[in-house]
Amino acid sequence: MSGFDLTGLSASFAGERVIGPLSLSVKQGERVALVGRSGAGKSTLISLIHQQVGRESSLVPQDLGLVNALPVFHNIFMGKLDAHATWYNTLTLIRPFSRDRTEVRTLLQELSMREKIWVPTASLSGGQRQRVAIARALFRQSSLLLADEPVSALDGPMAHLVMDLLRKRFSTGVIALHDVELALKYCTRIVGIQDGQIALDEASDRLNPADITPLY
Amino acid sequence: MLSSPTVKASLIFLAIALVCLAFADIAITSANPWKDLGRFFLGVVTPDFFSSEGVAVALLRTVAFAFVGVALGSLCGFILALVYRNPVVRVFCAFIRAIHELFWALIFLQFFGFHPLTGVLAIAIPYSGIFAKVYSEILDETDPTPGRLLPPGTGVISTFLYTRIPACWVQLRTYTAYRLECGLRSSAILGFVGLPTLGFFLETSFSQGLYSEAGAMLILFYVLIATMPIWVKPKLLPVYILGAPFFLGEGLPIVWGNVERFFTEDIVPSPLKNGEGLAGLVPWLNDLMVTEALPGIWNTLLLTQIALVATGILALLAFPLISNHFGGPVRRTGGHVFLVITRSTPEYILAYILLQLWGPSMLPAIVALALHNGGIIGHLIGRQSSGIQLRPDAPIGFNRYTYELVPRVYRSFLAFLFYRWEIIMRETAILGILGIYTLGFYVDSSIQNIQFDRAMVLIVITALLNIGVDILGRYIRKKLALQTMPTC
Amino acid sequence: MAINLIRKLAAAGILFFASSAAVSAQTLVFTAIPDEDETKLVERFRGIADYLEEKLEVDVRYIPVKSYAAAVSAFRNNQVQLAWFGGLSGVQARSLVPGSQAIAQGVEDQAFNSYIIAHKSTGLEENEKLTEAVRGKTFTFGSKGSTSGRLIPEYYIREAFNQAPEEVFSRVGFSGNHTRTLRLVEAGTYELGAINYSVWTKELEDGNIDTDAVKVIYTTPSYPNYQWSIRGDVNERFGEGFMDRVKQALLDMEDKELLESFPRSGFIPVSNDAYTPIEMVGKQIGIID
Repeated sequence: MSGFDLTGLSASFAGERVIGPLSLSVKQGERVALVGRSGAGKSTLISLIHQQVGRESSLVPQDLGLVNALPVFHNIFMGKLDAHATWYNTLTLIRPFSRDRTEVRTLLQELSMREKIWVPTASLSGGQRQRVAIARALFRQSSLLLADEPVSALDGPMAHLVMDLLRKRFSTGVIALHDVELALKYCTRIVGIQDGQIALDEASDRLNPADITPLY
Repeated sequence: MLSSPTVKASLIFLAIALVCLAFADIAITSANPWKDLGRFFLGVVTPDFFSSEGVAVALLRTVAFAFVGVALGSLCGFILALVYRNPVVRVFCAFIRAIHELFWALIFLQFFGFHPLTGVLAIAIPYSGIFAKVYSEILDETDPTPGRLLPPGTGVISTFLYTRIPACWVQLRTYTAYRLECGLRSSAILGFVGLPTLGFFLETSFSQGLYSEAGAMLILFYVLIATMPIWVKPKLLPVYILGAPFFLGEGLPIVWGNVERFFTEDIVPSPLKNGEGLAGLVPWLNDLMVTEALPGIWNTLLLTQIALVATGILALLAFPLISNHFGGPVRRTGGHVFLVITRSTPEYILAYILLQLWGPSMLPAIVALALHNGGIIGHLIGRQSSGIQLRPDAPIGFNRYTYELVPRVYRSFLAFLFYRWEIIMRETAILGILGIYTLGFYVDSSIQNIQFDRAMVLIVITALLNIGVDILGRYIRKKLALQTMPTC
Repeated sequence: MAINLIRKLAAAGILFFASSAAVSAQTLVFTAIPDEDETKLVERFRGIADYLEEKLEVDVRYIPVKSYAAAVSAFRNNQVQLAWFGGLSGVQARSLVPGSQAIAQGVEDQAFNSYIIAHKSTGLEENEKLTEAVRGKTFTFGSKGSTSGRLIPEYYIREAFNQAPEEVFSRVGFSGNHTRTLRLVEAGTYELGAINYSVWTKELEDGNIDTDAVKVIYTTPSYPNYQWSIRGDVNERFGEGFMDRVKQALLDMEDKELLESFPRSGFIPVSNDAYTPIEMVGKQIGIID
């Protein structure tokens, strides 16, 4: 499964409805960009979807959820903890298997931070940390990507490189993005969120930046 | 991973402990250890609250000694904290806190005898040293900016009272309250050397196998500590502090001539007393070092290192019991009860109980030290781990433990552990009184033989050993850049 | 805040010292070495306190202590004036208090014995000598300061093997008192133990010993033991002739139940000199300087 069909999504915070109720159906092969002003409910929607589809997806949360005390390798390896037996994971903590090392190193190579593999995450810059979280999602190798502003801390060329990588590796995805240009370029469908409701839902090749601006 | 300094340090300590274990005597010598343990637990679940009329009085005395001792200690400690910059004060404080309450009690017993002052000073003196250090750390951490912004010419005392005290009042209060809890434990174990607190009756019941009676006393003690937030209220404190001196019991009158005799005769090394002069002192010291001090130091170090690592392992195993990230409310409540019991029971009492049940070797001491200290550290990092926000797709179960939580809490875990290193060593030495061949055993033997000169030398050696470990612990914490919290 | 606290503490301190000064000067306080279960001791010596109070017409108070050394220190520090000591603790105490006297001992204390007892698993049988068969076993003394539970047995162990107990046995412990030595050996926690013969006999009569589990394997030669010791300055404090009155009261004790609780058949006069052998042994072993 990589597409999904969800109805009745809603969330409240402190008694106030933040989002929904709304329905969202994503077919396999679709890459949906969630756009909208900050506070519109994009992050909430991403986590709602994650709660529903759960383990089938790879998540890149906005706060990354890295374990600072662990090196880059282990933070990335964590994407696949559920795929291995506990003894394997525990052993990896002490001494990683060469198979995983190669795989992680290749991934880091693609994100051009190969040399950082054994560095504790605490000592990385914001952009590097974001790439570690992305690498963790890539390492997981599920077909559905749920990402919340995955490139917010990356500079232009790097942002394009990462978005391209995500497009290649995930057949299906829901990505919250505030950068309209990136959204139009790398996603097949744009969903605009305004005041917790879907205000726009259109294939991206039928839209131009001006169509989206009113949402902001 | 292995190259990380914290992991490396942990592995080195683990290796040292394993080597020590090879040298340590850890046999269970009792024929029926589990039967006795079973009888003990049966006693705890069938407590007999009405067997001894003394228990209520003992509890009252325990509380009274704790209040007077801690109040006096915090007052003196606060005054010392103000001049803590002075290296002489620093060394003095390090020295008085390096000597365990029970050793102080044994010293005062020799000249004040069974007067309440013995118990009060036994708590107040080491606590002054501890309070001085922690209070000065807390005071130093306050923001100096407000002080600089005061109008020029503001007096030192006003500056202090307006800018320093208010800024750290809450911390001072929290720490003092925590120390009061420690004071209750210290007060309870003073009974083991004859003061009229809980330990006195506990020892009596326990040594006679009256487990239901002992169980009742332990339960009352837990209740006393667990309900502290209810009965220790800031408003009631003056009442307690004023009232406590009346409940210390009469004891026996002090004969002041004894004090003079103790300092001018008893603790003077016997060759000097007998006029042999320095020529006699060397063989005397030599004999003391070879027959008592060195074996005592060796066993103390051995036991400390094993107990330290055992404490660490237990703390790491125990903290998930109360962590929000594992288990439901029922299991967490169970975990809390377990950890409250282990950390409220003084090591000395735990070791005493286990020693009675398993026979004398280092094993009961290791288990007792690990249970108590592991309980404390487990509680602290368990609470800390509950504050960690995990990402929504965080792994669960054992993977969550190894990948998400342990790496995040490991540094503070190590900080706590190295902080308690010195405390563990101080306790290790004192457990010798129970018959394990650490320094306390030889101190107790000298006192039993009325050779206070030997006892004093051994106590000073114990203190120096503690100071050494304290310095080493601080060095390692600094080297590993572990931040330390005084509230441990 | 701080000022308030200081004021309260100062007040508390004054009250504390005031409250502790109010102990009657005319109370005879006595103690005893804690050589047996405390409950038994408290029962026994409360009876003695009542008896002496009636005979001497002063207040008499018994205080229990937790160690032999505490009993000696209390005597030395004049916090107790009279004490029921063992041979060794009596010698220690009297050497520290000039003028103090041993005034009465039990009839049985003239020729006291210690037993070495063994758990059945050792398979040891009673013997006239300590043989090599005990080597390598685990062994417990009573209290470190005990005559019958430590000093004398250690002396004869050293004599038999020409080695310290730590070298003869694989493990040497100090149980604390005789009752506990008995319980520990009975339970097999230690294979061997040294015990006061009078405690053994009394417990045996009372049916408190599992004779299938533990038996006597060696009896030491006899030696003088327990005695009542009194400070030399009691006459100044309680009036002329007080020491003799205490002595007479102890010698006159006929109450079967009281005597049975020790257990002694009666008390007889004794002097300090009777304990010279104990002092010699103590010096040889290094317990006395």
